Amino acid sequence: MSVASTPPSILLADGDPDSREMFGTFFRRRGWQFDVVDAPSKLSSALEQGPYDIVIADVALPGADSLSLIRDILEKRPSQAVIAVSKELSYDQALKFFRSGATDLLNRPVDFMWLERVVQQIVCSRRNDERERLSYQFVTSERTEMVFSCSDIIELDTVPLPIVGRLEAIGALDHAQALKVRLAVQEAVLNALEHGNLGLESSWKEELHPDGADRFSATRRDRLRDPEFCGRRIFVTVSFDGTALEVVIRDQGNGFLNFPQGGAPERFSEVSCSGRGLALMYSAVDEVRFDHNGSEVTLRKATKPAGRH
Amino acid sequence: MDFPTEVIGEKGYIRITSDLDTEVAGEALRAAFNQVYDRGTRTIVLDLSGAQIINSYGIGKVLMCYKRLKAENGVLMVKPLNGFVKETFELLMLDKLLPEDRER
Repeated sequence: MSVASTPPSILLADGDPDSREMFGTFFRRRGWQFDVVDAPSKLSSALEQGPYDIVIADVALPGADSLSLIRDILEKRPSQAVIAVSKELSYDQALKFFRSGATDLLNRPVDFMWLERVVQQIVCSRRNDERERLSYQFVTSERTEMVFSCSDIIELDTVPLPIVGRLEAIGALDHAQALKVRLAVQEAVLNALEHGNLGLESSWKEELHPDGADRFSATRRDRLRDPEFCGRRIFVTVSFDGTALEVVIRDQGNGFLNFPQGGAPERFSEVSCSGRGLALMYSAVDEVRFDHNGSEVTLRKATKPAGRH
Repeated sequence: MDFPTEVIGEKGYIRITSDLDTEVAGEALRAAFNQVYDRGTRTIVLDLSGAQIINSYGIGKVLMCYKRLKAENGVLMVKPLNGFVKETFELLMLDKLLPEDRER
């Protein structure tokens, strides 16, 4: 059966026997696959049997705090779609459910036509994601080039790395590795912006004003308004060759002498306001290499075999 | 962005409610710190449980808080850390510098 034609799979958690019967009849008529639990205590073990496209949970389940029930589900399965079913919710109550991560809310008496539409929308989106994930296993190489202005970087805080999400989805990077790669890139981009394009000295961080502000931050603000500095660009190339992810970040600054080469810096033994970004970069990826007098840095992280790689 | 603060007895508390990896979050920490510091509190506790990520920028702001307190014989403490934030503190040896506050 293809991904697209797989029927929706649903886990129903409902304390009311009549309601369970009504949902069950509807699901059977539509040809949807479903399992049912009648108590929140059983929801956790039932989820282990999954995965399910959607959990439909009666938020008046006996013995459960409804909001923490949804949070618990999402803690176990962060991408799980959850539809909360309730008799009547005020605007504030509904907002709380959405903030706790519910995908949608369904009022009782249940409008089954509405439910069908919501289920089809969720399932369609999940099938598309799954298809993309499966397709990505066949990608053997990829390369993206990006150019940013200084103000772009300030606005974005980092650079977009959709490839990291795709590699995580196919298991080539685990969640912690993906998080660290993003962090290492963010550190490298900040270095390129601050020490490269804006020419800021690390030692200025130690020069504190009475209000707690420092010379580094003050000069940073000034230079971000100065065309001589803020007109410079940052070039980012992201490539994947089937065995490793490589990110190259180049700035238009003058580079710097004594840039680190060949290994991680010593562990910190004193309170210093600089050098932490490098330590984080070295700890997050397999290789950190500086070129062009330090104005270009290459980060390399080996990936795990996934799919057909 | 504002981080909630509270002073109970001799201790000031700052609850970090977002990742500490942007200029905005860093400035929010500085503002919250000033708020507690200006009330004369010299033992300040950071609760970082609301942060999943901390980067060099966020660490820099934490260290500035540390230095300002140390200059006046004060102490910067942290609530017990978890996950990536704990890992980062250990990597940078901040766990040796900032004692844990296990009260409350």
